[in-house]
Amino acid sequence: MEQPETTYDREIVVERFIEAPRRFVFEAFTTDEHLSRWWGPNGFTTTTRSFDFRPGGEWEFTMHGPDGTDYPNWVRWEEIRPPERIVALHGDQRNDPEAFTSIFTFAEADGGTRLTLRSVFPTARARDRAVTEYHAVEGGEQTLARLDQYAVDLSKEE
Amino acid sequence: MARAATTSDVFNAIAEPQRRRILTVLKDREQTVGAISEGLGLAQPATSKHLKVLKEVGLVDVDTRGRHRFYRLDARGLREVHEWTGGFERFWGEAFDRLESYAQELQRKERRDGTTRDDIRP
Repeated sequence: MEQPETTYDREIVVERFIEAPRRFVFEAFTTDEHLSRWWGPNGFTTTTRSFDFRPGGEWEFTMHGPDGTDYPNWVRWEEIRPPERIVALHGDQRNDPEAFTSIFTFAEADGGTRLTLRSVFPTARARDRAVTEYHAVEGGEQTLARLDQYAVDLSKEE
Repeated sequence: MARAATTSDVFNAIAEPQRRRILTVLKDREQTVGAISEGLGLAQPATSKHLKVLKEVGLVDVDTRGRHRFYRLDARGLREVHEWTGGFERFWGEAFDRLESYAQELQRKERRDGTTRDDIRP
């Protein structure tokens, strides 16, 4: 009930089982030092400008891609309920009109934690655009390799 | 590069809820316009119009057999959508892999140090 069905076309849900007790998974979100150890895909690092982990507090940081590209990032923590739920507004910068809401849910599961990330975008168009950006963020080579494979597969189907 | 232009159209095509419903119906098996309309409670002309759009962007395919035209899902069109959404999922997939290692590291550290973490204990 908490998510109206109407967000269906403008949300992305990613779910993952993590083999570690819930409180440690949650703890990894609570300081910029912790976050910098894992936030972002392989090869990415982050530099934090400011960090305030409380409802209404912000995290201003830059993500550095493996190819040297910098991505400005801004997060405002909207809701923090240890150790089960974090709601964050996530954009390029403060007042980003395309900022999206990310709801992290930490559920205890057999032998670990089920972490669900539900990202709800302001519009379907914003979702597609963000997805495109993430696609780009993911980095050149890997994307090109897949594109290449895609072209090969297509040519086989012809 | 006709394919590049098609990409954006695929997203436009699936932005329409009725067209997504049609794709869902076609996921299981090929069907005629009449069967799709009836199954979804849509008017046949509207269904035909949606199918035309879906066909143009490569999401459905038509197979004409005798007097009947059977519509079916064309996976090639969907694959492009998957490519895009996959970027976001992979982004977080890798981040969550790293999160897992780090959470395990925190756990080991606590065991080693024997410290308590009252501030975050449920």
